[in-house]
Amino acid sequence: MAALPKRIIKETERLVADPVPGINATPHEDNLRYFDVTIHGPASSPYEEGIFRLELFLPEDYPMSPPKIRFLTKIYHPNIDKLGRICLDVLKTNWSPALQIRTILLSIQALLGAPNPEDPLANDVAQRWKEDEKAAIETAREWTRTHATV
Amino acid sequence: MDSEQIDYQSLNYLSTVDHNLCCPICRSPLVDPVYTTCLHTFCSTCINKALERSQTCPVDRTPLQAEDVSPAPIMIANLVNELAVLCPNSELGCTFTCARYLVEAHLSHDCEFVYMKCRECGDKVLRRDAGRECLHQLEECTHCFQHIKKIDMEAHEKECPGLLGECMHCRLEIERSELKEHEFTCEEATISCSSSSLGCPWSGQRKELSHHQAACPFTFLRPVLQAHAERLTKLELENRTLRKRIEQLTPRINQSNTTEPLSFDEQAYQFLTEQEHMRQDMERLSATLGELEIKQGMLLMNESLRTKEELAGIRAAINGIRMQIHWLLTVRVHGTEHRHVVGGGAGTPSNSAGPSHPAEHSASRRLSDNFGQGVKL
Repeated sequence: MAALPKRIIKETERLVADPVPGINATPHEDNLRYFDVTIHGPASSPYEEGIFRLELFLPEDYPMSPPKIRFLTKIYHPNIDKLGRICLDVLKTNWSPALQIRTILLSIQALLGAPNPEDPLANDVAQRWKEDEKAAIETAREWTRTHATV
Repeated sequence: MDSEQIDYQSLNYLSTVDHNLCCPICRSPLVDPVYTTCLHTFCSTCINKALERSQTCPVDRTPLQAEDVSPAPIMIANLVNELAVLCPNSELGCTFTCARYLVEAHLSHDCEFVYMKCRECGDKVLRRDAGRECLHQLEECTHCFQHIKKIDMEAHEKECPGLLGECMHCRLEIERSELKEHEFTCEEATISCSSSSLGCPWSGQRKELSHHQAACPFTFLRPVLQAHAERLTKLELENRTLRKRIEQLTPRINQSNTTEPLSFDEQAYQFLTEQEHMRQDMERLSATLGELEIKQGMLLMNESLRTKEELAGIRAAINGIRMQIHWLLTVRVHGTEHRHVVGGGAGTPSNSAGPSHPAEHSASRRLSDNFGQGVKL
Protein backbone atom coordinates (compact mmCIF):
# COMPACT_ATOMS: atom_id res chain seq x y z
CA MET A 1 0.00 0.00 0.00
CA ALA A 2 1.22 3.44 -0.87
CA ALA A 3 2.21 5.84 1.87
CA LEU A 4 -0.63 7.51 3.69
CA PRO A 5 -1.45 10.89 2.10
CA LYS A 6 -0.75 13.89 4.25
CA ARG A 7 -4.42 14.83 4.23
CA ILE A 8 -5.46 11.58 5.92
CA ILE A 9 -2.76 12.00 8.57
CA LYS A 10 -3.92 15.56 9.23
CA GLU A 11 -7.58 14.57 9.43
CA THR A 12 -6.82 11.72 11.81
CA GLU A 13 -4.72 13.94 14.04
CA ARG A 14 -7.50 16.50 14.24
CA LEU A 15 -10.20 13.86 14.85
CA VAL A 16 -8.24 12.57 17.82
CA ALA A 17 -7.06 15.92 19.19
CA ASP A 18 -10.26 17.87 18.66
CA PRO A 19 -13.15 15.40 18.41
CA VAL A 20 -16.67 16.38 17.40
CA PRO A 21 -19.05 16.16 20.40
CA GLY A 22 -20.99 12.90 20.28
CA ILE A 23 -18.76 11.43 17.57
CA ASN A 24 -15.65 9.33 18.02
CA ALA A 25 -13.45 7.97 15.23
CA THR A 26 -10.33 5.91 15.89
CA PRO A 27 -8.15 4.44 13.15
CA HIS A 28 -7.02 0.81 13.29
CA GLU A 29 -3.39 0.42 14.19
CA ASP A 30 -2.67 -1.99 11.36
CA ASN A 31 -4.68 -0.11 8.73
CA LEU A 32 -4.83 3.64 9.13
CA ARG A 33 -7.50 3.92 6.43
CA TYR A 34 -9.95 1.90 8.51
CA PHE A 35 -11.76 3.67 11.36
CA ASP A 36 -13.95 2.46 14.20
CA VAL A 37 -16.65 5.08 14.65
CA THR A 38 -19.25 5.64 17.33
CA ILE A 39 -22.06 8.18 16.99
CA HIS A 40 -24.35 9.19 19.85
CA GLY A 41 -28.02 9.40 18.84
CA PRO A 42 -29.06 13.07 18.71
CA ALA A 43 -31.16 14.43 21.59
CA SER A 44 -34.97 14.45 21.21
CA SER A 45 -34.81 11.84 18.46
CA PRO A 46 -35.86 8.18 18.79
CA TYR A 47 -32.15 7.35 18.81
CA GLU A 48 -31.43 9.45 21.88
CA GLU A 49 -29.16 7.75 24.40
CA GLY A 50 -28.15 5.16 21.82
CA ILE A 51 -24.51 4.68 20.92
CA PHE A 52 -24.19 3.45 17.34
CA ARG A 53 -21.09 1.73 16.02
CA LEU A 54 -20.02 2.28 12.42
CA GLU A 55 -17.09 1.29 10.25
CA LEU A 56 -15.45 3.79 7.94
CA PHE A 57 -12.96 3.03 5.20
CA LEU A 58 -11.03 5.55 3.13
CA PRO A 59 -10.54 4.12 -0.39
CA GLU A 60 -7.28 4.43 -2.29
CA ASP A 61 -8.36 7.56 -4.15
CA TYR A 62 -9.83 9.37 -1.15
CA PRO A 63 -10.55 12.32 -1.08
CA MET A 64 -11.45 12.13 -4.77
CA SER A 65 -13.97 9.38 -3.96
CA PRO A 66 -16.08 9.31 -0.80
CA PRO A 67 -15.31 7.22 2.28
CA LYS A 68 -17.25 3.97 2.63
CA ILE A 69 -19.37 3.98 5.76
CA ARG A 70 -21.67 1.35 7.22
CA PHE A 71 -23.64 1.02 10.46
CA LEU A 72 -22.56 -1.99 12.50
CA THR A 73 -25.24 -1.49 15.16
CA LYS A 74 -28.77 -2.49 14.15
CA ILE A 75 -30.91 0.59 13.64
CA TYR A 76 -34.53 1.17 12.62
CA HIS A 77 -34.30 4.06 10.18
CA PRO A 78 -35.90 4.60 6.74
CA ASN A 79 -32.58 5.61 5.16
CA ILE A 80 -30.45 2.80 6.63
CA ASP A 81 -30.96 -0.78 5.53
CA LYS A 82 -30.57 -4.14 7.24
CA LEU A 83 -26.91 -4.34 6.26
CA GLY A 84 -26.22 -0.92 7.76
CA ARG A 85 -25.78 0.82 4.39
CA ILE A 86 -26.66 4.47 4.45
CA CYS A 87 -28.64 6.42 1.86
CA LEU A 88 -27.08 9.86 2.01
CA ASP A 89 -26.43 12.03 -1.06
CA VAL A 90 -23.04 13.32 0.14
CA LEU A 91 -21.80 9.74 0.38
CA LYS A 92 -22.63 9.14 -3.27
CA THR A 93 -23.39 11.61 -6.05
CA ASN A 94 -22.99 14.74 -3.98
CA TRP A 95 -19.58 13.85 -2.59
CA SER A 96 -17.02 16.63 -2.84
CA PRO A 97 -13.30 16.31 -2.12
CA ALA A 98 -13.62 19.39 0.09
CA LEU A 99 -15.72 17.31 2.53
CA GLN A 100 -13.98 15.47 5.34
CA ILE A 101 -14.52 12.55 7.69
CA ARG A 102 -15.81 14.87 10.40
CA THR A 103 -18.31 16.65 8.14
CA ILE A 104 -19.60 13.33 6.80
CA LEU A 105 -20.05 11.91 10.30
CA LEU A 106 -21.90 15.08 11.30
CA SER A 107 -24.20 14.59 8.28
CA ILE A 108 -24.93 11.04 9.43
CA GLN A 109 -25.70 12.27 12.94
CA ALA A 110 -28.04 14.84 11.41
CA LEU A 111 -29.71 12.09 9.35
CA LEU A 112 -30.54 10.27 12.60
CA GLY A 113 -32.26 13.45 13.82
CA ALA A 114 -34.18 13.93 10.57
CA PRO A 115 -35.21 10.65 8.87
CA ASN A 116 -36.38 11.09 5.30
CA PRO A 117 -38.90 8.39 4.34
CA GLU A 118 -39.39 10.04 0.92
CA ASP A 119 -35.94 8.81 -0.15
CA PRO A 120 -35.92 5.38 1.43
CA LEU A 121 -33.33 2.63 1.48
CA ALA A 122 -35.24 0.29 3.80
CA ASN A 123 -38.60 0.24 2.02
CA ASP A 124 -40.57 -1.55 4.73
CA VAL A 125 -39.36 0.90 7.36
CA ALA A 126 -40.11 3.92 5.16
CA GLN A 127 -43.60 2.57 4.41
CA ARG A 128 -44.34 2.16 8.11
CA TRP A 129 -42.86 5.60 8.79
CA LYS A 130 -45.30 7.13 6.32
CA GLU A 131 -48.34 5.14 7.42
CA ASP A 132 -47.95 5.24 11.18
CA GLU A 133 -45.12 7.55 12.20
CA LYS A 134 -45.85 7.22 15.91
CA ALA A 135 -45.54 3.45 15.88
CA ALA A 136 -42.42 3.60 13.69
CA ILE A 137 -40.76 6.03 16.09
CA GLU A 138 -41.68 3.75 18.98
CA THR A 139 -40.05 0.80 17.17
CA ALA A 140 -36.95 2.91 16.50
CA ARG A 141 -36.82 3.76 20.19
CA GLU A 142 -37.19 0.11 21.13
CA TRP A 143 -34.43 -0.97 18.74
CA THR A 144 -32.21 1.74 20.19
CA ARG A 145 -32.85 0.37 23.67
CA THR A 146 -32.17 -3.23 22.68
CA HIS A 147 -29.27 -2.81 20.27
CA ALA A 148 -27.59 0.55 20.89
CA THR A 149 -27.27 0.76 24.66
CA VAL A 150 -24.58 -0.90 26.68
CA MET B 1 21.42 13.95 -9.64
CA ASP B 2 18.00 12.95 -8.40
CA SER B 3 15.51 13.17 -11.22
CA GLU B 4 12.44 12.52 -9.05
CA GLN B 5 9.86 15.28 -8.80
CA ILE B 6 9.50 16.84 -5.38
CA ASP B 7 6.20 15.96 -3.68
CA TYR B 8 5.38 19.45 -2.43
CA GLN B 9 2.21 18.27 -0.70
CA SER B 10 4.13 16.07 1.69
CA LEU B 11 6.64 18.73 2.74
CA ASN B 12 6.91 19.54 6.41
CA TYR B 13 6.53 23.22 7.29
CA LEU B 14 8.43 24.91 10.08
CA SER B 15 5.34 26.52 11.58
CA THR B 16 1.63 25.92 11.29
CA VAL B 17 0.25 27.54 8.17
CA ASP B 18 -2.82 29.78 8.09
CA HIS B 19 -5.69 27.58 6.90
CA ASN B 20 -6.65 30.24 4.35
CA LEU B 21 -3.47 29.37 2.48
CA CYS B 22 -4.37 25.67 2.40
CA CYS B 23 -6.09 23.84 -0.41
CA PRO B 24 -9.62 22.68 0.56
CA ILE B 25 -8.89 19.35 -1.12
CA CYS B 26 -5.45 18.26 0.09
CA ARG B 27 -5.52 20.52 3.18
CA SER B 28 -1.83 21.36 2.67
CA PRO B 29 -0.48 24.81 1.78
CA LEU B 30 -1.38 25.55 -1.83
CA VAL B 31 0.99 24.25 -4.49
CA ASP B 32 0.81 26.01 -7.85
CA PRO B 33 -2.39 27.80 -6.76
CA VAL B 34 -5.27 28.37 -9.17
CA TYR B 35 -8.64 29.97 -8.67
CA THR B 36 -12.07 29.34 -10.16
CA THR B 37 -14.79 31.56 -11.61
CA CYS B 38 -16.61 31.09 -8.28
CA LEU B 39 -13.46 32.53 -6.61
CA HIS B 40 -12.25 29.44 -4.74
CA THR B 41 -8.54 28.65 -4.66
CA PHE B 42 -7.04 25.14 -5.05
CA CYS B 43 -3.77 23.46 -5.94
CA SER B 44 -3.80 23.02 -9.70
CA THR B 45 -3.31 19.22 -9.50
CA CYS B 46 -6.05 18.86 -6.87
CA ILE B 47 -8.73 20.75 -8.82
CA ASN B 48 -7.82 18.96 -12.04
CA LYS B 49 -8.24 15.58 -10.39
CA ALA B 50 -11.54 16.68 -8.85
CA LEU B 51 -12.88 17.94 -12.18
CA GLU B 52 -12.16 14.54 -13.74
CA ARG B 53 -14.77 13.13 -11.36
CA SER B 54 -17.35 15.88 -11.13
CA GLN B 55 -17.75 19.08 -13.10
CA THR B 56 -18.63 21.14 -10.04
CA CYS B 57 -16.72 23.28 -7.60
CA PRO B 58 -15.79 21.09 -4.60
CA VAL B 59 -16.61 23.92 -2.20
CA ASP B 60 -19.92 25.36 -3.40
CA ARG B 61 -20.99 22.85 -6.12
CA THR B 62 -21.43 25.47 -8.86
CA PRO B 63 -20.91 23.94 -12.32
CA LEU B 64 -17.27 24.21 -13.28
CA GLN B 65 -15.17 23.36 -16.38
CA ALA B 66 -11.43 23.06 -16.73
CA GLU B 67 -11.37 26.39 -18.62
CA ASP B 68 -13.04 28.15 -15.64
CA VAL B 69 -9.81 27.64 -13.71
CA SER B 70 -6.93 30.11 -13.99
CA PRO B 71 -3.66 30.77 -12.09
CA ALA B 72 -4.20 32.53 -8.79
CA PRO B 73 -2.92 36.08 -8.25
CA ILE B 74 0.84 36.18 -7.91
CA MET B 75 0.55 37.46 -4.35
CA ILE B 76 -1.06 34.19 -3.21
CA ALA B 77 1.59 32.18 -5.04
CA ASN B 78 4.31 34.23 -3.34
CA LEU B 79 2.76 33.80 0.09
CA VAL B 80 2.83 30.04 -0.15
CA ASN B 81 6.14 29.81 -1.98
CA GLU B 82 7.92 31.73 0.73
CA LEU B 83 6.74 29.50 3.57
CA ALA B 84 9.70 27.94 5.38
CA VAL B 85 10.00 24.16 5.00
CA LEU B 86 12.26 21.38 6.20
CA CYS B 87 14.40 19.57 3.65
CA PRO B 88 12.49 16.46 2.37
CA ASN B 89 15.52 14.40 3.46
CA SER B 90 15.25 15.52 7.08
CA GLU B 91 14.53 11.94 8.08
CA LEU B 92 17.87 10.85 6.58
CA GLY B 93 19.64 13.52 8.59
CA CYS B 94 19.54 16.78 6.61
CA THR B 95 18.79 19.71 8.90
CA PHE B 96 18.49 22.30 6.16
CA THR B 97 15.47 24.63 6.15
CA CYS B 98 14.57 27.21 3.50
CA ALA B 99 11.73 28.95 1.73
CA ARG B 100 9.67 26.45 -0.21
CA TYR B 101 10.65 27.73 -3.63
CA LEU B 102 14.31 27.11 -2.79
CA VAL B 103 13.86 23.43 -1.95
CA GLU B 104 14.37 22.29 -5.49
CA ALA B 105 17.68 24.14 -5.78
CA HIS B 106 18.79 22.74 -2.41
CA LEU B 107 18.07 19.21 -3.48
CA SER B 108 19.72 19.49 -6.85
CA HIS B 109 22.90 21.25 -5.64
CA ASP B 110 23.52 21.17 -1.89
CA CYS B 111 21.63 18.48 0.00
CA GLU B 112 24.13 15.94 1.33
CA PHE B 113 21.44 13.29 1.60
CA VAL B 114 20.47 13.03 -2.05
CA TYR B 115 21.44 9.81 -3.82
CA MET B 116 23.77 10.32 -6.80
CA LYS B 117 25.63 8.11 -9.21
CA CYS B 118 29.08 7.03 -8.05
CA ARG B 119 31.74 8.59 -10.29
CA GLU B 120 33.63 5.36 -10.56
CA CYS B 121 31.14 2.51 -10.71
CA GLY B 122 27.79 4.26 -11.35
CA ASP B 123 26.11 2.73 -8.31
CA LYS B 124 23.93 4.78 -5.89
CA VAL B 125 25.71 6.86 -3.29
CA LEU B 126 24.78 9.78 -1.02
CA ARG B 127 26.13 13.13 -2.18
CA ARG B 128 28.19 13.55 1.00
CA ASP B 129 30.14 10.38 0.09
CA ALA B 130 30.33 11.03 -3.65
CA GLY B 131 33.52 13.12 -3.46
CA ARG B 132 35.57 10.40 -1.75
CA GLU B 133 36.87 7.20 -3.26
CA CYS B 134 34.35 4.67 -4.53
CA LEU B 135 32.48 3.11 -1.65
CA HIS B 136 31.32 0.14 -3.66
CA GLN B 137 34.66 -1.63 -3.60
CA LEU B 138 34.83 -4.74 -1.48
CA GLU B 139 36.78 -4.60 1.71
CA GLU B 140 37.63 -7.33 4.15
CA CYS B 141 36.03 -7.13 7.56
CA THR B 142 38.75 -7.22 10.19
CA HIS B 143 36.69 -9.45 12.46
CA CYS B 144 34.96 -12.01 10.31
CA PHE B 145 37.10 -11.71 7.18
CA GLN B 146 34.05 -11.45 4.94
CA HIS B 147 34.21 -9.17 1.92
CA ILE B 148 31.81 -6.32 2.25
CA LYS B 149 31.21 -3.11 0.31
CA LYS B 150 32.61 -0.10 2.12
CA ILE B 151 29.26 1.61 1.96
CA ASP B 152 27.62 -1.23 3.88
CA MET B 153 30.40 -1.59 6.43
CA GLU B 154 28.70 0.57 9.04
CA ALA B 155 25.59 -1.60 8.96
CA HIS B 156 27.71 -4.75 8.91
CA GLU B 157 29.57 -3.84 12.06
CA LYS B 158 26.35 -3.88 14.00
CA GLU B 159 25.85 -7.55 13.19
CA CYS B 160 29.33 -8.82 12.31
CA PRO B 161 29.53 -12.43 13.52
CA GLY B 162 33.28 -12.06 14.13
CA LEU B 163 32.93 -9.40 16.79
CA LEU B 164 32.78 -10.43 20.41
CA GLY B 165 29.47 -10.30 22.11
CA GLU B 166 28.55 -10.71 25.72
CA CYS B 167 26.24 -13.54 26.74
CA MET B 168 23.35 -11.88 28.49
CA HIS B 169 23.16 -14.68 31.05
CA CYS B 170 26.66 -15.62 32.09
CA ARG B 171 28.43 -12.42 30.90
CA LEU B 172 30.92 -14.54 28.99
CA GLU B 173 32.45 -12.87 25.93
CA ILE B 174 32.03 -15.03 22.85
CA GLU B 175 32.12 -14.42 19.12
CA ARG B 176 28.73 -13.31 17.87
CA SER B 177 28.44 -16.21 15.46
CA GLU B 178 28.68 -18.60 18.39
CA LEU B 179 26.49 -16.62 20.70
CA LYS B 180 23.33 -18.29 19.51
CA GLU B 181 24.78 -21.72 19.93
CA HIS B 182 26.08 -20.80 23.36
CA GLU B 183 22.59 -19.80 24.38
CA PHE B 184 21.51 -23.44 24.05
CA THR B 185 24.17 -24.64 26.44
CA CYS B 186 24.71 -21.64 28.76
CA GLU B 187 24.39 -22.91 32.31
CA GLU B 188 22.91 -19.66 33.50
CA ALA B 189 20.36 -19.18 30.77
CA THR B 190 16.79 -19.16 31.99
CA ILE B 191 14.88 -22.10 30.60
CA SER B 192 11.60 -23.77 31.39
CA CYS B 193 11.15 -27.37 32.45
CA SER B 194 11.21 -29.95 29.65
CA SER B 195 7.71 -30.89 30.75
CA SER B 196 6.44 -27.33 30.32
CA SER B 197 4.34 -28.52 27.40
CA LEU B 198 2.51 -30.74 29.89
CA GLY B 199 1.87 -27.80 32.18
CA CYS B 200 4.92 -27.57 34.48
CA PRO B 201 5.22 -23.92 35.49
CA TRP B 202 8.89 -24.13 36.58
CA SER B 203 11.49 -21.93 34.95
CA GLY B 204 15.02 -21.30 36.13
CA GLN B 205 18.69 -21.54 35.24
CA ARG B 206 19.81 -24.50 33.20
CA LYS B 207 22.15 -25.74 35.90
CA GLU B 208 19.20 -26.17 38.26
CA LEU B 209 17.14 -28.14 35.80
CA SER B 210 18.35 -31.60 36.80
CA HIS B 211 17.67 -30.80 40.43
CA HIS B 212 14.15 -29.69 39.57
CA GLN B 213 13.45 -32.66 37.36
CA ALA B 214 14.29 -35.06 40.15
CA ALA B 215 11.22 -33.75 41.96
CA CYS B 216 9.06 -32.58 39.07
CA PRO B 217 5.67 -34.36 39.21
CA PHE B 218 5.11 -33.57 35.56
CA THR B 219 8.26 -35.46 34.58
CA PHE B 220 7.08 -38.45 36.60
CA LEU B 221 3.70 -38.42 34.95
CA ARG B 222 5.14 -37.67 31.55
CA PRO B 223 4.46 -41.10 29.96
CA VAL B 224 0.86 -41.14 31.17
CA LEU B 225 0.20 -37.53 30.20
CA GLN B 226 1.83 -38.04 26.85
CA ALA B 227 -0.32 -41.08 26.14
CA HIS B 228 -3.36 -39.03 27.05
CA ALA B 229 -2.28 -36.18 24.83
CA GLU B 230 -1.74 -38.58 21.95
CA ARG B 231 -5.14 -40.09 22.49
CA LEU B 232 -6.67 -36.63 22.62
CA THR B 233 -5.14 -35.59 19.32
CA LYS B 234 -6.29 -38.85 17.77
CA LEU B 235 -9.81 -38.28 19.01
CA GLU B 236 -9.74 -34.70 17.86
CA LEU B 237 -8.71 -35.80 14.41
CA GLU B 238 -11.48 -38.36 14.35
CA ASN B 239 -13.92 -35.77 15.58
CA ARG B 240 -12.87 -33.40 12.83
CA THR B 241 -13.31 -35.99 10.11
CA LEU B 242 -16.69 -36.95 11.53
CA ARG B 243 -17.76 -33.33 11.65
CA LYS B 244 -16.71 -32.96 8.04
CA ARG B 245 -18.77 -36.00 7.16
CA ILE B 246 -21.78 -34.50 8.93
CA GLU B 247 -21.28 -31.25 7.10
CA GLN B 248 -21.21 -33.13 3.82
CA LEU B 249 -24.27 -35.19 4.63
CA THR B 250 -26.48 -32.53 6.17
CA PRO B 251 -27.13 -30.64 2.93
CA ARG B 252 -27.96 -33.93 1.23
CA ILE B 253 -30.52 -34.77 3.90
CA ASN B 254 -31.93 -31.30 3.72
CA GLN B 255 -32.13 -31.58 -0.05
CA SER B 256 -34.06 -34.80 0.07
CA ASN B 257 -36.42 -33.21 2.53
CA THR B 258 -36.86 -29.90 0.78
CA THR B 259 -39.65 -31.11 -1.52
CA GLU B 260 -42.38 -30.51 1.02
CA PRO B 261 -40.99 -30.75 4.48
CA LEU B 262 -41.86 -27.28 5.56
CA SER B 263 -45.54 -27.39 4.64
CA PHE B 264 -45.83 -30.88 6.07
CA ASP B 265 -44.25 -29.85 9.31
CA GLU B 266 -46.49 -26.83 9.52
CA GLN B 267 -49.60 -28.89 8.87
CA ALA B 268 -48.62 -31.47 11.40
CA TYR B 269 -47.96 -28.75 13.89
CA GLN B 270 -51.35 -27.19 13.21
CA PHE B 271 -53.09 -30.50 13.61
CA LEU B 272 -51.27 -31.22 16.80
CA THR B 273 -52.18 -27.89 18.32
CA GLU B 274 -55.79 -28.29 17.24
CA GLN B 275 -55.90 -31.75 18.76
CA GLU B 276 -54.44 -30.39 21.94
CA HIS B 277 -57.11 -27.67 22.08
CA MET B 278 -59.85 -30.23 21.51
CA ARG B 279 -58.52 -32.49 24.21
CA GLN B 280 -58.54 -29.64 26.64
CA ASP B 281 -62.12 -28.76 25.67
CA MET B 282 -63.14 -32.39 26.15
CA GLU B 283 -61.63 -32.54 29.59
CA ARG B 284 -63.38 -29.38 30.62
CA LEU B 285 -66.71 -30.62 29.29
CA SER B 286 -66.50 -34.03 30.95
CA ALA B 287 -65.70 -32.38 34.25
CA THR B 288 -68.77 -30.14 33.94
CA LEU B 289 -70.85 -33.13 32.98
CA GLY B 290 -69.80 -35.10 36.05
CA GLU B 291 -70.65 -32.15 38.27
CA LEU B 292 -74.04 -31.81 36.70
CA GLU B 293 -74.73 -35.53 37.13
CA ILE B 294 -73.93 -35.39 40.80
CA LYS B 295 -76.06 -32.32 41.28
CA GLN B 296 -78.95 -33.93 39.42
CA GLY B 297 -78.65 -37.11 41.47
CA MET B 298 -78.83 -35.12 44.66
CA LEU B 299 -81.86 -33.20 43.49
CA LEU B 300 -83.58 -36.40 42.40
CA MET B 301 -82.89 -38.08 45.68
CA ASN B 302 -84.16 -35.13 47.70
CA GLU B 303 -87.28 -34.94 45.61
CA SER B 304 -88.04 -38.67 45.61
CA LEU B 305 -87.40 -38.95 49.34
CA ARG B 306 -89.97 -36.30 50.04
CA THR B 307 -92.49 -37.89 47.65
CA LYS B 308 -91.92 -41.29 49.21
CA GLU B 309 -92.50 -39.84 52.65
CA GLU B 310 -95.69 -38.20 51.50
CA LEU B 311 -96.74 -41.36 49.80
CA ALA B 312 -96.18 -43.35 52.95
CA GLY B 313 -98.15 -40.79 54.96
CA ILE B 314 -101.00 -40.93 52.52
CA ARG B 315 -100.92 -44.72 52.52
CA ALA B 316 -101.07 -44.75 56.30
CA ALA B 317 -103.94 -42.28 56.31
CA ILE B 318 -105.80 -44.38 53.76
CA ASN B 319 -105.21 -47.48 55.87
CA GLY B 320 -106.55 -45.69 58.94
CA ILE B 321 -109.59 -44.58 57.02
CA ARG B 322 -110.08 -48.09 55.70
CA MET B 323 -109.94 -49.55 59.20
CA GLN B 324 -112.34 -46.99 60.42
CA ILE B 325 -114.74 -47.76 57.58
CA HIS B 326 -114.27 -51.44 58.25
CA TRP B 327 -115.00 -50.98 61.91
CA LEU B 328 -117.98 -48.81 61.18
CA LEU B 329 -119.25 -51.38 58.75
CA THR B 330 -118.79 -54.26 61.20
CA VAL B 331 -120.40 -52.20 63.97
CA ARG B 332 -123.30 -51.46 61.74
CA VAL B 333 -123.69 -55.13 60.67
CA HIS B 334 -123.40 -56.34 64.28
CA GLY B 335 -125.76 -53.65 65.43
CA THR B 336 -128.49 -54.68 63.08
CA GLU B 337 -127.90 -58.29 64.01
CA HIS B 338 -128.20 -57.47 67.75
CA ARG B 339 -131.22 -55.39 67.21
CA HIS B 340 -132.50 -58.15 65.14
CA VAL B 341 -131.71 -60.96 67.63
CA VAL B 342 -132.11 -59.22 71.04
CA GLY B 343 -134.85 -56.96 70.01
CA GLY B 344 -132.74 -53.93 70.89
CA GLY B 345 -132.05 -52.46 74.41
CA ALA B 346 -130.67 -48.97 74.72
CA GLY B 347 -128.08 -50.16 77.35
CA THR B 348 -126.81 -53.09 75.34
CA PRO B 349 -124.68 -51.18 72.86
CA SER B 350 -122.32 -50.31 75.71
CA ASN B 351 -122.11 -53.96 76.61
CA SER B 352 -121.72 -55.15 73.08
CA ALA B 353 -119.23 -52.39 72.56
CA GLY B 354 -117.28 -53.79 75.50
CA PRO B 355 -116.14 -57.02 73.90
CA SER B 356 -115.58 -55.27 70.54
CA HIS B 357 -113.23 -52.79 72.17
CA PRO B 358 -110.18 -55.03 72.39
CA ALA B 359 -110.57 -55.87 68.71
CA GLU B 360 -110.68 -52.19 67.83
CA HIS B 361 -107.76 -51.53 70.07
CA SER B 362 -105.62 -54.21 68.52
CA ALA B 363 -106.64 -53.00 65.08
CA SER B 364 -105.67 -49.47 65.94
CA ARG B 365 -102.42 -50.68 67.40
CA ARG B 366 -101.75 -52.70 64.34
CA LEU B 367 -102.58 -49.65 62.35
CA SER B 368 -100.18 -47.55 64.31
CA ASP B 369 -97.59 -50.29 63.79
CA ASN B 370 -98.33 -50.21 60.13
CA PHE B 371 -98.06 -46.48 60.11
CA GLY B 372 -94.76 -46.67 61.88
CA GLN B 373 -93.52 -49.14 59.33
CA GLY B 374 -94.68 -46.88 56.56
CA VAL B 375 -92.86 -43.95 58.02
CA LYS B 376 -89.78 -46.01 58.40
CA LEU B 377 -89.95 -46.82 54.76
